[in-house]
This record gives sequence, C-alpha cells and structure tokens, in this order.
Amino acid sequence: MLNIIELEQRWLRYKIKSFIPHIVIVISLLIITLVLLSLSSSTTDNKQEIVEPTITPSNKEVIKKEPIEKIVPVKKTVSEETIVVIPVEAVPQKKQAIQKESQKVKLSPSLDFMRKMQNSVQPFYNNTTPSDNYETDVPRSTKKINTRQAKVLETQAVESTPKQSEKRIQIKRQNTQNDIYDIIKRFKKNNNPALSLFVAKKYYELGNYRQAYNYALMTNKLNNEIESSWIIFSKSLVKLGKKDKAIKTLKKYIKHSHSTTAEILLDEIQSGKFR
Amino acid sequence: MSSIFVNSKNVFLDIVNANDYVQLDRVSTIYQSLKDSIKKPLKMILLYGKPGTGKSMFLTKLHKDLSSSQEVYLYQTPILDESEFYKTLAQDIFKIKYAGELNFTQFMKIAKEQKNENVPVVLLDEAQLYSEALMEKIRLLSDTRSVKFVITLHKTEKEDLIAKEHFQTRIWESIELENASSTELKIYIQKKLMKANCFDSANMFTPSAVNRIHKITNGNYRDSNKLLYTLFDLYAIYEQNSQLSKIKTNHISNKLIEMSAIHTGLIHA
Repeated sequence: MLNIIELEQRWLRYKIKSFIPHIVIVISLLIITLVLLSLSSSTTDNKQEIVEPTITPSNKEVIKKEPIEKIVPVKKTVSEETIVVIPVEAVPQKKQAIQKESQKVKLSPSLDFMRKMQNSVQPFYNNTTPSDNYETDVPRSTKKINTRQAKVLETQAVESTPKQSEKRIQIKRQNTQNDIYDIIKRFKKNNNPALSLFVAKKYYELGNYRQAYNYALMTNKLNNEIESSWIIFSKSLVKLGKKDKAIKTLKKYIKHSHSTTAEILLDEIQSGKFR
Repeated sequence: MSSIFVNSKNVFLDIVNANDYVQLDRVSTIYQSLKDSIKKPLKMILLYGKPGTGKSMFLTKLHKDLSSSQEVYLYQTPILDESEFYKTLAQDIFKIKYAGELNFTQFMKIAKEQKNENVPVVLLDEAQLYSEALMEKIRLLSDTRSVKFVITLHKTEKEDLIAKEHFQTRIWESIELENASSTELKIYIQKKLMKANCFDSANMFTPSAVNRIHKITNGNYRDSNKLLYTLFDLYAIYEQNSQLSKIKTNHISNKLIEMSAIHTGLIHA
C-alpha cells in the first residue's frame, strides 16, 4: 500500500518548489516597477528644482538678490498636516496640539475655491475634470511624505502666522491642497501662466508666501503683462519681510504698465497699511 | 468488496492483452494498413516507435486477429541464442524437431525446402535486442520468401535503426507508432474504463485533467497506464481511510494526479 502521508508531503514540497519561480518573477517585477516609479518621480522633482525664470528688465534686480528657493510640492505639507490633525482631535488638552491646530487653521480651505478657480482659469480648465484628478493624486501624495518632511516643517515654522485662533477642525482642506497640486501638475505639463498665477494666489491665500512668490515669479517669467501676478509677487515679498524689494518691483512695474491697482498697492505698502 | 476505484485501478494494469486493445482513430488506421501490408508479398515489415507507444499491443492484436485466418507466430521475448532461435522457428513453423545444434545454413536449407502457399508470418517483438548479425540472417531468411517477418523496434535517439543499411534496403514497409494526443488519450482512458463498466470513473476525466495527465506522460500509453493505476490506487486508499471527503470525487483531482506522477517518478519532486 502506498504511504499516503509521505506522498502528500512530497507533493506539498513539489508544489512549493513549482511556485517559487512564479513568486520570484512577481517579486522581481514589483521591484522593477517600484524602482522605475521612484526613478521617474525623482526626475520630475529635479525638473521642478531646475526652474529658473528668465530675467526681464522689470524683475532683474529682485531675482539677483533673491534666488528662488526650491519648490516644495504642496502635497507633502498636506500629508504632514493630516497626520498632525488626528492627534489634535484625540487629545485636545495638550499644548502642542493647540499649536499644531493653529498651524492647521492656516491651511484651512476656502470651500468656494472651485468657484474661484473656475473664474480665474476658466479657459484652461476644460481638459480634465477636477474630480478625476483627485482620485489619481491621492495615493501619490501619501507616498512622498518622508522625503522632504524636515524641510517642509522648517519653512512652515518660519511662515506660520499664529494670529488666527479658530478652534474648529476642518478636515476638508486637504481637497484644496490636492487641488493646488493638481493645478501644479497641469502647469508643469502646459506651462500656462494662468495656472501658475492661480497656484500663486492659492498659496498666498493659504499663507505660504514663499511658494506664492515662486509661482508669481514663474508667471511673470512666462508673461510679464499680468497685473495680478505682479500684485501677488509684491504682496508675497512684503509678507516675506522684503518690503523694499516689493516697492522697487512695483515702481518698475507701474513705470512699465501704469497700473492703478499696482499704484494703490504701492501706496498701501508705503503708508504701512499693507503689512 | 471491490470499489469502483479498485476496479478502475485494475483496468490500467500494464498487461499486454489483445482484449484490452483500444480502438483509436489514428491507431486503427495504422492497424488496418499493417494488416493490408501483411497480405502483400512483403518480406519484412518494421514497426517502430518510442517505448510505450503500443507496439507490443499492436503485435498481440495482430497475432490474435490473424491466427484464425493464417499461420502466425508471435515471439514477445526475443530468443537471443542463435541456434535456439532457429530451432524454435523450425519447430513452430516447419514442425521439425532438432535435438542438436541448428545453424543458419541448415535452417536456410529447411526453409527453402518448404513451399507453402500461405507464407507463415513471424512476429518478433523487441527486435532491437537481437544482434546485428542475427538481424542480418533474419533478413536473409525473409529473402527466401518462405517466412514473413513483422518486427518491432524501439526508436532510440542514439541510433536511428531504420537508418541501418539492412533495414533501408530490405524493408518494404515501415510503420511508426507515436504517442497519443490529448484527445486520443482521453478517448483511450474512457474507452478502457467503459470496457470494464467503470462509467463513473470514466466520467471523472475532464479535458483539463486529461491535459494534465498528457502533459506529464507526453501521451505515452505505458506511462499513462502507470500513472492512472497509481491514481486509482490513491483514490482507493483514500476511500479505504474514509478520507474521500478531503478530495474531489466529481472529477479527477489535480493533486492526486501530481501525487501519482511523483510516486511513479514522472515528476521529480
């Protein structure tokens, strides 16, 4: 009579053996795709860092003295923030939590961003529907959290203006961030100044003045006739504590375009109304 | 009490029995052409193929079918001693008993003296075991037209026997037997089982199970028989141990096919 138990064991060993090549293939394919993905994402990061505006006579001086900081993709801040927000809800008594809450409040969204976005970038917005892009973006944003977390936090600390003290937690702001990231992505594709201007405005609204400055600069580089871009550019400079440069830039722009809005802003800055 | 699995198992015992011969389309065509060839004034007919392709079964079947109508002698195991070979042939074919040694010259003399209208047919299985010298003498014998030979050979990869000179020139007909295709294997298995009234187990063979068996055995009849014998042996043991619930019985379990293949050495685990 056959020894069934021994035979079953031999069969099991055979099965495991025959599966090994498949597993090896699957794992190696996974590794290859991961490597390829990380490679492709790192190349896009590099591209982002290389962006350097061409110097037009109007903004030459500013650029010389103020080299553009690296553009840190917003999604990272977002993910960091979401991670922070949850403990705040859970343990509201802690002091740290309050501090982080204020940080979070700074990022809180204007829920009507959709409307604004449509107003400001309508002609370029037809290609993709925003809802589609949210879905594709979500996994990527979580993926890159760690790479420049430290740096993001640093800049965040400098820029944070803990004046506001809203206590309600608004988790939906992540959509705004994703939205900005989506616009940045589209901007990278087609270099449309309207998109970068929108991003600059959004960053400005969110209080990320350095990014607002960067994107306004990029917009100016692409098209130096957009008034609101120069306004955001100057406002961001003021917010970053470079009032003199802001005044200089505005003056040059007014000379070039005779913009009344710019003049009003210049007055406000000079008189100290705008700080 | 013999279960369905024990009965099915016994169907696949590797025994050459003309009654177990399974009619398959391709094989029966070949068989018919072999039968026709025997009627022709041929000197020798060569039947070749890899081991386990049914050559012995073919010869047995031929012997059974022809024995009623004509003189036919089947030697399933080769007679390697030359003198013994002649003596056996002389005794069987020409009814002449020899007490002492019988050499080729003497045997040729006897053969030439015999003038039968119906040439007796000698079926030699496993002819690759005969020495080349003896094969040459067999061929000379066939030239006398007093005996007709049907020989079967293993087709080995090292030496293509048909390429040998004496076969090239003397053989009038050579028939190659091949392994079964997947469909043929299915028909073979099911016909065999149904012949033994094992309809339930015949129904267990789904095309995928047969394909798996075909993949393992390459359609070789002997290997398939071995595998199926072990397979039903396993089923019988599971049944005996009341463990049938562990395996599927509505169709042949792949696990058991592989276990049988491991046991018979067709798969190296």
